[in-house]
Amino acid sequence: MNLLEFTTQTWITVGIVAAIFAGSALVIGALILVVSKVFKVDVDEKITKILENLAGANCGGCGCSGCSGFATKLASGAGDISDCHVTSPEKKAEIAKILGIELRDEERTVAVVKCNGGATNCAEKFEYNGNPTCASCASLLGGNKMCATACLGCGDCKEVCPENAIEITDKLSEVNPDLCISCGACMSACPKQIIERIPASAPVYVACSSKCKGKDVMSVCKVGCIACGLCAKSCPHGAITMVDNLPSIDYSKCTGCLTCVSKCPRKIIIKRDVAKTEEQKTA
Amino acid sequence: MGTFIAIVLAAVLTNNFITVKTYGICPFLGVSKKTSSALGMGVAVTVVMVLATLVTYPVYEYVMKPLKFDFLEIIFFIFIIAALVQMLEKIIQKLSPSLYNTMGIYLPLITTNCAVLGVAELVINDGTMEQFLSGASMNIGWAVLYSFFAGLGFTLVMIIMSGMRERLNYYKTPKALAGFPTAMVTASFICMAFMVFTYIQI
Repeated sequence: MNLLEFTTQTWITVGIVAAIFAGSALVIGALILVVSKVFKVDVDEKITKILENLAGANCGGCGCSGCSGFATKLASGAGDISDCHVTSPEKKAEIAKILGIELRDEERTVAVVKCNGGATNCAEKFEYNGNPTCASCASLLGGNKMCATACLGCGDCKEVCPENAIEITDKLSEVNPDLCISCGACMSACPKQIIERIPASAPVYVACSSKCKGKDVMSVCKVGCIACGLCAKSCPHGAITMVDNLPSIDYSKCTGCLTCVSKCPRKIIIKRDVAKTEEQKTA
Repeated sequence: MGTFIAIVLAAVLTNNFITVKTYGICPFLGVSKKTSSALGMGVAVTVVMVLATLVTYPVYEYVMKPLKFDFLEIIFFIFIIAALVQMLEKIIQKLSPSLYNTMGIYLPLITTNCAVLGVAELVINDGTMEQFLSGASMNIGWAVLYSFFAGLGFTLVMIIMSGMRERLNYYKTPKALAGFPTAMVTASFICMAFMVFTYIQI
């Protein structure tokens, strides 16, 4: 049987071809319909609602594969909303309402690099000419810096930052707090683990991670903490304590008087430009 | 046995889908940044290739050929494969959510993949298959065998490519060559390496 030889007229042949397509489209469409009816998956309404309220950055900072993975985890009762550092507090409250749980008060955080060394201030152990990533530099005798907790400045953190918030200037990385979403990608990428989260409204931060004694730091770095403890002694609110030869600031007690900034002989407690940052966020 | 070996060798090495026939270049360059995703894509393509051949070969032989509208094969095969992938996605999502999470995300990408359409086209093309069959008559068994090993060959090249790209990530390339241009150079080297296999006499 030849479907196309019923007639010699071209337009009827075209009609037959069109009919063949229409017929097969009907059959296939019906098949898909049946299959999708039989194998229907009930998607939890909660998940789609939570997903709408999440920031949608898909940064992976929560440890899940993207926002949809996190939404599934939240809906199943596991996981904590505060694992997400990107979503705004209002949206988090919305999610808490959907889940029917209380939301803990929490503030927006940003990442800071706790080192002020760079190319000029911190002495080098040797000249490093290898593969220019921090990870491979750190695997060679712990990096080319005399200080064990110095920023190597090769920019592994810059590479992983989803928001391009990190700049490397003079072999020292710096986080732009206006762009930082506190996802934590840089924190896990840094082989020296000198990137930390602080509250976005923190007036000061300590730009050194060295836990060595004062004399050792003095010999290798011009801007390292020598653990003199002047900041802890001079703080009028008792917000600073010395832990492991480093000042630790309790931001709940800090009022932003900046006494520590003026007292520090090494200038490693750095004043942050908070007013501008917060203004921009609310504007 | 000779036909079996000829088909396996042809599908995996001498007529490899990516390096020799240059089918499926989009996933070859697009999904080959990580070995895990390259493997997922390869497995998904292999499964869809086998299923597509299982359906399109009988449809062509027993419906389209007798009714003499076999010249519509390309449009019809796209029709069938697209519908098949849609159904497969639904079925996997229902039966095995974990498999869906690892492999399912690649399925929509395969819907109109040229490698899948290519294998469906090749097995019905007498001229192509004759050189491997050495006199034996073509049937659906050979067709499915060819499509399965074509899928394996595809996976093999995907894994080689992703492995090389992962290693290349450790090195700083000149700015003008960083990223995609390097991938193209890598791809050309792999294709040149596979040219060696074309000297195998079957």
